[in-house]
Amino acid sequence: MIEIRLHGRGGQGAVTASRILATAAYEEGQYSQAIPMYGTERRGAPLTAFVRIDNQRVRERMLVHEPDISIVLDPLIAKQQGVVESLKAGGIVLLNTAMAPEEVKLGGDFKVATVDATTIALEVLGRPITNTAILGAFVKVTGALKLESIEKAIKKYFPGRLGDMNIAAVRRSYEEVKGPIQAVVKSGVQEKMDLNVGGYGVLKDVSSWRVFTPEVDVDKCISCKACWIFCPETAIQWDEAKKKPYIEYNKCKGCGVCANECPVKAIEMVRVEV
Amino acid sequence: MSYEVMVGNKAAATACKLARVQVASAFPITPQTTITQYLSEMHANAEWDFDFVNVEGELSSQVVVQGASRIGARTFTCTSGPGLLYMHHPMQTTGSGRLPVVMAVVHRSYKGMQPDHSDLMSQEWTGWGHWYVEHAQEVLDSILMAYKVAEDPRIRIPIAVGYDGYVLSYTAEPVEIPDQALVDEWLPPNKPIPEVLPDKVNKATFGRGFGGEADPQVPWKVHHDAILKIEEVHQEVMDSFEKTFGRRYGNAMIEPYMMDDVDVAIIAMGTIAGTCKAAVEKMQKEGKKVGLIKLRSYIPFPVKDFQEWSKKLDAIAVVDRSICPGKGGPVYQRLRETLYDMKKRPLTLQFHAGLGGKEVRVRDFELIGDKTLKAVKSKKVEEPVTWV
Repeated sequence: MIEIRLHGRGGQGAVTASRILATAAYEEGQYSQAIPMYGTERRGAPLTAFVRIDNQRVRERMLVHEPDISIVLDPLIAKQQGVVESLKAGGIVLLNTAMAPEEVKLGGDFKVATVDATTIALEVLGRPITNTAILGAFVKVTGALKLESIEKAIKKYFPGRLGDMNIAAVRRSYEEVKGPIQAVVKSGVQEKMDLNVGGYGVLKDVSSWRVFTPEVDVDKCISCKACWIFCPETAIQWDEAKKKPYIEYNKCKGCGVCANECPVKAIEMVRVEV
Repeated sequence: MSYEVMVGNKAAATACKLARVQVASAFPITPQTTITQYLSEMHANAEWDFDFVNVEGELSSQVVVQGASRIGARTFTCTSGPGLLYMHHPMQTTGSGRLPVVMAVVHRSYKGMQPDHSDLMSQEWTGWGHWYVEHAQEVLDSILMAYKVAEDPRIRIPIAVGYDGYVLSYTAEPVEIPDQALVDEWLPPNKPIPEVLPDKVNKATFGRGFGGEADPQVPWKVHHDAILKIEEVHQEVMDSFEKTFGRRYGNAMIEPYMMDDVDVAIIAMGTIAGTCKAAVEKMQKEGKKVGLIKLRSYIPFPVKDFQEWSKKLDAIAVVDRSICPGKGGPVYQRLRETLYDMKKRPLTLQFHAGLGGKEVRVRDFELIGDKTLKAVKSKKVEEPVTWV
């Protein structure tokens, strides 16, 4: 049996990726199971999903506690030691990052592979949804499933042109993935972060949720307060003296509501490299 | 036959489509499940001809299917946890009225959002058949079988098919979808109940009392007897299901797993029975003589099966994913009263696992197996109740 854990954020499609893997496995005559981590998921919050692939109907009905493979859809989560926690010795971690596997700071007895899935997704799909973009890399690195079955499964979930675009993303990540190599760092950092932290901006720092960051052009701003009213996280603050908004970035999850609501387009969403 | 990787809730909705349900009714908001979302999509796409009535509460949804069932429609409703508790009152009338409604109950604890069997267990007095299933394929197959059993003229009893929330309702797995033509042939349309007025001569009634001087206990007795008859019909239906579709689940009432030459049986229901299968396989590889009896039908209870199995066993470990507070585990107690008349009685141990949605792992079943084997060795139950 192969056990896979996927790390991502709500909106990146980790659950769909898990179902595509499960469908592809069944296309190859294997049984499978795709389990979402149960909770109150929402866009931007870190979440996990799990897949089991076996040659008989999967009986175990529990979360995957010691995965063979860890797939990380989000470049910021990819920096956290939690993504390789309890990974089986000799297992593989596949990271969405622009870094080469040699540069990855995660430590332990496992192999590391990397692919810049966010860039692939933005260029091919036009949106930073990395779930399909990483699956080509998964096929290349693990050999657990065939590219054709992944493509067949994708067509079931995304018919028509959307399916073709996602397949193009899969093929590109198959070509561009680097590794796997044995992890350069021997043991992991002591400090671990809970990957399933939730909570809204007023309570916690959600800056790591962002793919795009709002920037205010105060010269264009007409002081209408629309952004201030619509911000769901109270990240937009009001400077009473200047009559202009400013952003508390630790509360901003990068949803883009402010940019959308601004009547004079004084807020721009900028991709911040990580 | 086709297949789809689908979640448990979609398997339930797909079963409704295959069964050509004519009237479905449900409360569409929390604690409702995504079954209603799939049914709404199917209704919007006109995948088959049915009425889908969204109502303001679970009490009303049960009443809607009662009315439709009374005039012979094939009906479906579904709910979860607290929604089922709110349905308690009309469920009695459905049972009493001998209306062959089929309901999917997606288990949710009433102490939290995660699954345990406390919701359906607390409805054991409502006069329904109560089934518990393990995986998405079994959800689909069992709902089809539930219609065939419930609508049998010998039975005419509503059936609740229970499956664990989240771990089954939201987990996707490959499900084989039988051909519509085969299902149509195997499951002909429902017919209205033969007679709504009580038959004084034959002491038969579909719910109503006889009135006047007649014995008011008779409706209770005929209701009870009809539920007991489910066992025989359920087994027949399982045989014909296997003949038509090529799958079966034990003898319908129970599904023994790796029970050859064992000293100890673990009894479990629902999804945790699946995890127990993996554990039993592991334990037998290590030479431990532990098997699994998956309990599928809690009402009626497989009395004969357990009495037969008890002759071959030294101990039975009962895993209850629920508790009646102040009373105990329902399956454990039911099993012990079943064994009372036996000359040789195996030891019985009570385990509570998975309550409030606590995850039950393979290693938990190994612990249960080890503890029970230890009791067999010392011929004594040191600690009758264990919270895993």
